[in-house]
Amino acid sequence: MTTTGITTGGAGRLPVPPRPRRIAAVGSAVVLIVLMVVAHAVAWRETEFSVGALADGWRGMVEFLGEAIPPDLSDTTLERGLGACVVTLAIGLLGTTFSIPFSLVLALLGSRTTSRSPVVYQAARFVMSFFRAVPDIVFALIFVTAVGLGPFAGVLALICHNTGVMGKLWSEAMEEIDEGPVEALRTAGASSVQIASHVVLPSAAPQFVGLLLYRFDVNVRSSLVLGLVGAGGIGFLINKSIQLFRFDEMMTYIVMILALIVAVDVLSGKIRHRLSDA
Amino acid sequence: MPAQTNSPTAPEVGTATLSVRGLTKRYGDRTVLDGLDFDVGAGEVVSVLGANGSGKSTALRCVVGLVRPEGGSITVAGRTVTPGVPLSEVAMVFQRIHLVPRRSVLDNVCAGALGRLPLAQSWATWAFPQDLREEAMACLDRVGLADRAHDRAGRLSGGQQQRVAIARALCQRARVLLADEPVSALDPAAAESVMRLLHSLATEDRIAVAAVLHQPDLARRYSDRVVGLAEGRLEFALPAEELGDHRIDELYAADYRAEGAAL
Ligand SMILES: Nc1ncnc2c1ncn2[C@@H]1O[C@H](COP(=O)(O)OP(=O)(O)O)[C@@H](O)[C@H]1O
Ligand SMILES: [Mg+2]
Repeated sequence: MTTTGITTGGAGRLPVPPRPRRIAAVGSAVVLIVLMVVAHAVAWRETEFSVGALADGWRGMVEFLGEAIPPDLSDTTLERGLGACVVTLAIGLLGTTFSIPFSLVLALLGSRTTSRSPVVYQAARFVMSFFRAVPDIVFALIFVTAVGLGPFAGVLALICHNTGVMGKLWSEAMEEIDEGPVEALRTAGASSVQIASHVVLPSAAPQFVGLLLYRFDVNVRSSLVLGLVGAGGIGFLINKSIQLFRFDEMMTYIVMILALIVAVDVLSGKIRHRLSDA
Repeated sequence: MPAQTNSPTAPEVGTATLSVRGLTKRYGDRTVLDGLDFDVGAGEVVSVLGANGSGKSTALRCVVGLVRPEGGSITVAGRTVTPGVPLSEVAMVFQRIHLVPRRSVLDNVCAGALGRLPLAQSWATWAFPQDLREEAMACLDRVGLADRAHDRAGRLSGGQQQRVAIARALCQRARVLLADEPVSALDPAAAESVMRLLHSLATEDRIAVAAVLHQPDLARRYSDRVVGLAEGRLEFALPAEELGDHRIDELYAADYRAEGAAL
């Protein structure tokens, strides 16, 4: 080393140059923290958040649990619960599967990688945002008035909402693929449709399947909630037992649906893990 | 095609397969290409040298329709290229190769033909006609990889993948092959085999090859002519054997300055 006479380590020492804009960064951090605290204080008041009310209500909860335990394990309840679990699973399955074509078309039109026209792109984005923004439970209430109480209304509701969500997720997956092969085929004179079919879809396929399984998982859980508003399945049974004060029956149903959801979750997680390895 | 001698001299203007005149391109107020001229004749390999940012990639991307130049003219085999529109006679291979790794080698090669296929024969790989598959096999055989046709492209080594990309260009029936740093990411042995292949495509198949290279040694051994770019202009165009070290040093002086010349 031929620099100065400082002889600490191998290379000596140098003063650290001051980092620019340090004070501005600290200032905006303080402002941000203050804003967050205020927001939480307002939210606390608006939600009537009260630890006291929770403590006072514990007796009611114990009473409720006393009636719910032991759960009703009679054959009729188990049989009815099992049948309703199948319906809940079926709503989730059809709701996911039948939204695939709509999601795919919207994703292709609403992804920067595949959509050449800004007008079409924005329109597809808007349609997807709309179906995503309207909660599935609202769709369920609308379809119940159209096709009546029952699982079919649930399937229709899930198709609508899932189309918006999965279309968005898929279009983002397509935007994340490597642009290189897209350019390479564009120089070969390939059209947008050909590029979608020969580069974008095969490149994004593992992500597509992973997101599909994730949405199936979510949709099975949603279909439980949809049942509560009359769209069939085990949610519907849970709602009925609450109205009849049959909390032991309700407990059986809850345990069953819990088992179903955990099973779906574990299974789809396993498959997705396999996919990301491959 | 008329018989041509293998002389390394520049082809006459007008006979060149690829001819670029006065090419200009600006990004914002930065002039990246500033009236660039160069030619590549059928059957010759032209090496393109120049410091980082001198506009080599931009020039090739203009020719292939990925970048829309502001001025100048590009003609390929007598046809004028419309700015921003790819021409089937021109193919490009890239440093990062850009195959679809999950697709088979054969499907990747077939994709070179997409520009001339109707959608009914190309909406999916299983719609490809049989004669296209056979043509693609011949292209793969030309690059020495016919035995890997059904492997996934991502399984191949870097050098093999670059040869598959070249086979894709052949399946496109390109008469001009542009290569942007085709061997920069490859080990020396793979680089040699890719350069040998490019050279033989020029001499045997009469393809016009232009390759951006960073190794003067490869440029001297595998190309007929060398063009040097500096700040978006043609600095020199020489027969490869006349490329002296001082030329290289001048051309890359900007890079040495940028790296702080910390030696
Ligand atoms: N899309 C772009 N937008 C803005 N500047 C660009 C773009 N592409 C290239 N440039 C600039 O143009 C100059 C030339 O780039 P490039 O052609 O890639 O050089 P080379 O390949 O010779 O290293 C560089 O300074 C680069 O930053
Ligand atoms: Mg470059």
